[in-house]
Order: sequence, then C-alpha cells, then structure tokens
Amino acid sequence: MPLTFERIEALAPDQASLAAARKLLKPSYWPTLTEGEGLAWGECQGSGATPYRVVINEADAGYKCTCPSRKFPCKHALALMWMRADRSAAFASASVPDWVKDWLSRRRGTSNEASKTQEEAKSKTKPSIRLTEIPEAGADADPKAEQRAAAARERNRLEREATVLAGLEDLDTWLSDQAQHGMANFIAQTAQVCRTIAQRLVDAKAPGLAVRLDALPTRLFTLPGPARPSAAIRELGQVHLISQAYRRTSELPELLAADARQAVGWSVTREALLNDSEALRVNATWRVFAVVSEPQPDRLRRVETWLWRQNGTDGMPQCAVLIDFVPISTAAAVSGYLVGDQIEAELSFYRSTFPLRAQISALKRGAEQSSEPLTLPDQPLSASYANYEHALAQLPWLGTIPLSFRMSSVRRNGEQLYLYDDESELSLPLHTSQANHASPLASLDRIDGIGLWNGYEFTLAWAETQLGRWLRS
Amino acid sequence: MNSITLQAKVLPSLLVGTSRHPLPSELIPPSSSSSDGTLEMLSLMGQALRFERPSTPESFIVEPEIKDERKIIADGLRRPLIRLLTAKNATEHPARALARAFDRLRLRPHPFDLPLIDAFVRSNAEKLGPTAQHWADRQKPEAETRSYFDPELLDESNWTQPMLSRRVAYLEQRRRDDADAARTLVESTWAQEEADARFRLLQVFQTRLSMSDQPFLSRLEKDRAPRVRALAARFLARLGAGSENPALGVCLERIKQSQSGLLRKRSTLQIELPANVKDQAAARWILQTFADVSFGDLAGAFKVTEKELIAAGAKDEPLLLALALIATNEHRLDLLELVVANLPNAWERMFEAGLDTLGAMTESERQRWEEIVVHPYRKDVPTAYSLWDWLHRITDAEAPASVMSIALHAKLLTNVPEHERGSGPWVEMIAAICPASQRQELREQLTKFDRSQTVTPHALLEILDGMENARTHV
Repeated sequence: MPLTFERIEALAPDQASLAAARKLLKPSYWPTLTEGEGLAWGECQGSGATPYRVVINEADAGYKCTCPSRKFPCKHALALMWMRADRSAAFASASVPDWVKDWLSRRRGTSNEASKTQEEAKSKTKPSIRLTEIPEAGADADPKAEQRAAAARERNRLEREATVLAGLEDLDTWLSDQAQHGMANFIAQTAQVCRTIAQRLVDAKAPGLAVRLDALPTRLFTLPGPARPSAAIRELGQVHLISQAYRRTSELPELLAADARQAVGWSVTREALLNDSEALRVNATWRVFAVVSEPQPDRLRRVETWLWRQNGTDGMPQCAVLIDFVPISTAAAVSGYLVGDQIEAELSFYRSTFPLRAQISALKRGAEQSSEPLTLPDQPLSASYANYEHALAQLPWLGTIPLSFRMSSVRRNGEQLYLYDDESELSLPLHTSQANHASPLASLDRIDGIGLWNGYEFTLAWAETQLGRWLRS
Repeated sequence: MNSITLQAKVLPSLLVGTSRHPLPSELIPPSSSSSDGTLEMLSLMGQALRFERPSTPESFIVEPEIKDERKIIADGLRRPLIRLLTAKNATEHPARALARAFDRLRLRPHPFDLPLIDAFVRSNAEKLGPTAQHWADRQKPEAETRSYFDPELLDESNWTQPMLSRRVAYLEQRRRDDADAARTLVESTWAQEEADARFRLLQVFQTRLSMSDQPFLSRLEKDRAPRVRALAARFLARLGAGSENPALGVCLERIKQSQSGLLRKRSTLQIELPANVKDQAAARWILQTFADVSFGDLAGAFKVTEKELIAAGAKDEPLLLALALIATNEHRLDLLELVVANLPNAWERMFEAGLDTLGAMTESERQRWEEIVVHPYRKDVPTAYSLWDWLHRITDAEAPASVMSIALHAKLLTNVPEHERGSGPWVEMIAAICPASQRQELREQLTKFDRSQTVTPHALLEILDGMENARTHV
C-alpha cells in the first residue's frame, strides 16, 4: 500500500512534527536513502556526530528511528515517509541491512509482505537457533520446576481473588456512602471521591473498576449539568452490578462471567486469546470506520480501531474493535489504520456475551484504502437502537457500541445536533465535540451511516450523503 | 416494580440522599440480608435509566434555504486544499490566491470542509459563494443575516440578493453605464443596508460623481455610521457643494506656482512641505492632505487642463506623488500613466505614503494600475518583499502577464537578499500572484530551491491548475 499524505498526516503526533519533518526534506540531510523489499531506510544527519538510522515499512506504515525523540513517529521517520509519498528524492536499491532485519524480527502484527520479510529476517538472523530446535526439546524441562511454577501461579491467583473480594467490600461501603449522601452531593465532589476509591481498587488489584471510576468525573462533566445526577446513578449502578456479578461468577453463564471478570480487571493476554481454541474467530473483509483516541486517567491513551464486516450476515459479529494502549507521553494518538482502510483478516474475539473486542489473529491482506461504501444493513436507526437495547439486556454494563442507520437526518436544536429518525421520531444527541464538524450535515435531507453510541451521546463516524462521504475528523 | 414506580419512589431518594429521604421500605428486596437494599435499588434504578430512550426536542431549527449555483471543488483537490490552508506558518498569500480562484471560476469549497477551513472561510466568505457565506454568518444574530442566493446574472430585479462584493461590482458597472440609474437603485435599498454595505456601496459613487448625486449625498450627512458620513462629506466637498472644498484650499496654500523657461515661459508647480513635516513623513502627509481633492478641481484652480497640470508638476516629485494618488483615487488610469512617466518610482513612493486601498476598482483596473506602476522598473525590479507584499495586498489580483514576465526574467526569486531567498513568504507570494500561463516557467525557477522551501508554492500551483482544469471541463 503506497504511503499517502493523508496517512502521514494521520500518523503525525502533532503539527509541529510535520513542520519539522518538512525541513528535513533537503537531500543534503540524508547521506543514504535506500529501498528494497517494501521497505525504505536511510540515515539522517541530526545534531549529533552519528546520523540517525531510520526505516519505514510502506505496507503498514511501520517505522523505527534511532533518534532519542519522545514523539512517535519522530520527524525523521515522517520526513522519510514524506519523501516516499511525493517521490521527490532518489532511493537507491539495495538488500536489507542487518539493522533493518533486526527491527523486523522484533515487530509484531505486520502485513503479509512484512511478515514474510520478518520470517526471513528471523531465519537469517538466528539460523543457528532454528536449526538446533528439535521436537523433543521440551523433554529436558524440569517437571518439578513446572509444578512449582504452576502452584505459585495458582497461589498468586487465589491471593489476588481474595484481595479483589476485599476491595469489593470497600467498594460496597463507598457506594452506600454515596447513595446516603445523594447524587447531588456526589457530583459536587466527584473528582476527589472517585480518585480515592480508584486508588483503593488499584491496591485491591481490580484495575478495570479503578479505571472506570477514575474516568467517571470526566465522563460526567462532559454532560449537561441537569443530566449529571441521573448519569451518576447509571454509572454507580453499573459498578455495583459488576461487583455483584463478580462475586457470583459461578452462578452466571460462562460468557457473562468472563465479562464480569474482564470488567473487574482480569485481563486476557493477546497470546492467551490467540491460543484459546474456543475463542470466536471470524474470517472476513473488514473496513475501518472509526478510530477513537482517548487519554485515560492512568496516563495511557486508549486507541480504538472500529471495524465493520463487509461481507456476510451469518449471525457472526458484524463489527469489532481493536484496542491498543500507548503511553500518553509518546504523543502517539493514532492506530496504524486510517478510516476507510480495508483489511482481510481473521479476528479472534475476547469471550463475551456481546463479542466486540478482538485481536487480529491472521492478516491475509494488509490495509488498503477503499472508496467503496460500507455494506450497511437496510434498517433504520430505530432498529439498530432496538438491537442495542437487546444487547443491554444481555450485558447490563455494555459500553460503547456501533449503531448503523439508513434514511436519518441531522437536525439542530439550539447548539445541539441530533441524529433523527423520522419514522420512529427517535433522536440521539450528537457528541458535543461534533457540533461544528457535523453542522453541514444539518442542511441535508437523508443520510445513511454508522456511529458510536455510549448511552449518552452518539458520535457520528461515517455518513453517505448526496454530497458524498462525510467522515469524523 | 416497573420503571414508573422506580422514577417516582426511588429516584428522589437517590438524588437527595437516602439519609435525608429514605427509600420506601416496601420496595427493599426481602433477600438482602447483608445490606439494607440501597445498592440493589441503585443498580435497578441505574439500569432503568439506561433503558430510557433519549428525549426528542419539541422542535428543530429549520435550516435556511441556500441557493448555491456554484460547482463544488473536485474531490481530489479537497485534501490538498485543507492541508495548504491549515499548514503551520502558512502566509496569507495562498489563501488570497485561492479565494480569488474560487470567485473567478465560480467554484465553492465542499460544505463538509467548511469547519476544517473555518478561518479561511470567515476571511473570504464573499468570494466563496452563499454556502460559505452562510457558514461564516452562523454566529451572527438572525437579524444581521441576509438571504443566501447567488444568481449567475444580475439585473435590477435581483441585484440585492448576492453577496456584497458582487453587488458592489454590479453597481460599479451600472455607474459607468448610467450613473443616475445606479444611484436610484442604491436609494431604493439604502434603509435596509447595514453599515458595512452602505459604506461599500457609497464608495461606488467615486465613479462618475456629479452634481446630480448631491441631494442624495446631502441626506447622508446624518447617516448613523461615522465612516459613511465622512465619505459623503468628502464627496460633497469634492463637488464643491454649498461652499468651496476646504481640502482644496489647504492644498493650494502649499503649492507654489512659478514661471520657468527662457524663450517660452512655462508655468511650474511645486509643493512646499510644512516645516514640521520631516522628509520621511512627507509621503504620508501628501496622502492625507490630497485625499479629498479631485484632479479636475486642482487643474481648475490653476486654470490649466489636467495634462498641463501634470506637465507643470513634472519637476516636483512630491507634487507628482500627490497627482498619482489623486489619479488612483479617481480611477483615472490614463492620468496615472502620464504621472508615472515622470515619476518612475511611483510604486515605492505610494507604498511609503501608506496607500491602503484602490477603492472600488474592478479587477482589470487593478491589474492595469499594477502594470502602470511596475513597468517603469523593467529589469531593475525592486527586491524588497514588503513592496511586493503590498502590491499583492492592494491589488488583490493575479499579476498581469507583463508584470510576471518582468519578475521571472529578472529572476526575482534568486536575486532577493540572501537571507530572504527561498523563504516561505517570498516563494508563496510569487506563486500566489503567478497567472496560469506562466506557472510552468515559475515551476522551473522553483526547482533551484530546496524541496523543503517550495512545498507550499508547488501545492498551491497544483491546486490552482486543478481548479481551472475542472472548471474548463464542466
């Protein structure tokens, strides 16, 4: 997939990085510029004595630079991408050097071509290890050590279970206090009280609940004042539901129990998911329809890449979300994908009553920009909303989910925009951050599209209109 | 227990606090031995609220009808346009060139892009069509907005509908064809116009100002807007209505008349600057002093023709500057040409004077004005950025081909001072004023600069080419 300015802009952490990259377009800064096997690499003369080594993978816009910048991608990587995109510089052809192979061997989640190169890199850089591998190698493992390790893991798990349960007792007390004092009082001191209980829940090894409560003040304060007390009841009610469900996992259906454990903070690693033979796997063509980047209170940025399944209506999940967490300090705010990208991949879904979060288990074709419309179901907003209510009944602490719609319109009341369904008169308030950007849609008659509903506000992500496609910026 | 019961009996307790407003005991689940049931009620209430559908407002705002006949810019140009207009450190030159292109080609930005190029739209709304105008006006009170129509052809029945710039251009043309009819049109809508519109419509009276305009101008001495009152007073003074133009009197006090020549005596005129006006402030003093004087009045005062007036002042640079400014003010490009023949550095002198507008000149007049002031320099074209920047700002038009030829043949971009060579403002400005026919030649000159310095000019030239091609292929 060729690099485009749109992709480079999307990858850039900020405008200043682009401006700095632009200054590096002078060929004199680049003693070497080389390409080969879908990669481009070069050396950029920085302020130090040694030039920085920069490599980019054109297939998936992967990059690596040896400079000490805390921005990702740095200006050197951006400049190299820029030169590839506008073909303004001459790149010599050469075989992939060792330092590039080394980078490739340490990457994960690359596209087909890159994976191939990665495999080759592995085989070339560590041939002796490959060759010495024999099937019986595991026989040398010490069974007693294995048993001790397993016992230690089990002991740790039990200890954590006990700690979490104790933390939930604290949480109950805290919730009772809030109910006793009333939600009006809770709103007045929400930042302080939520921070306190979040810290206690971190100590109790229930990070899922801790993050949920730590983010609660921000969520409440994005809502209009009069809506906050009832929103607080909704949120605190959910927290109690999760806490109760966790205590009763043995009584719950398997998938709902898994949801409860994940909501409390028991994470499933990517490796565990990919090794889980019973995990739901869907092989399809997926289209990126939204990329959402939100800073979290724990100094991590949550980057969600929302995918829509382009083919098949076989009862399997129609959409999925890939979630990455990156440190806020790196300033990286985007996923590797752009809205409109299409990939062919097998996704493995985390166990859930309403499977949504997934990981790419096999990428069959890397991202390619497509101008094709989304294959949205032929149903109005009200039907999608009814599906949401059905899902909510199954998973009471359901978070953000995609809602598609046909023949709806954007209407305005004061400064607030709504997505309005004429037939059912259902209207969902658009996210306040979209008041400006979605405003031109208010003068159009009917639109089809998809967006994200968090129970309070609808974030319009993609709309097909008579004036062409509208995308969330 | 249903949602209504919960709303009526549980919600008030949770809002004010169960300590102040205890939950009704009959609602507490009997199985809750470990707690008082408050948390179960909290969860139940929370879940009931989650199933409540969002409320629909009683009414929605009806969006105004916008009749925009302009063609939307090609899809392929949208991203480059946004990138160019939102680039960090971008100067105003590309934006000005793009706004002109939108206006000239009767194109408009894609409505979805308006929020992304908001600053550009606000600054150039008049040139971008009714949709953009509506976008720029969206924060204004309803009373201050107008209808958003932009008919292709204007006549007396629809001239009030389009944007102000088109109305002014239409009225300007009408003044040339039939000054009285144009005045009647203005009079018919005067009461409904806002201050800015009144001022700009009144500026048009510069063209073919005559005594028949006097009654209308006299009524404007009580206009609500001070600048409208001031402009009307200047026009009246120029007409000599009622009393002698006081500005003319001040000018005449400062012009010394004498005779020169041995065999054939010729009248010569010379400005005597006041003692308190320093040399560096002389040009500004001339601009201010001669602003309200007409060429005809000045010539009449010395009982000579307009051409004889120029000949009489030919040896006095300050007087020539004054005459150049008056000729510009009155759109008398024929006289300006005669003045500049004696004042080859009129461009620099008018810049020093602080001339900041060419009034209601049409685009072709502005380009002709530019030719007149630049041509005398030929190969020794100035290399000061401030002069070219001023020229672009004041003309707000592409450079005429002959002026661009001078700049290109003089290799202006490579002859500017070294510290400015290839700097953003220079190359962006030259690209912004370059007419379509000379873009290729400019591109060739740009290859001598680092790619990093010419990203914006190249992008601008590509977009302008794209806009023009799209329009010619309609």
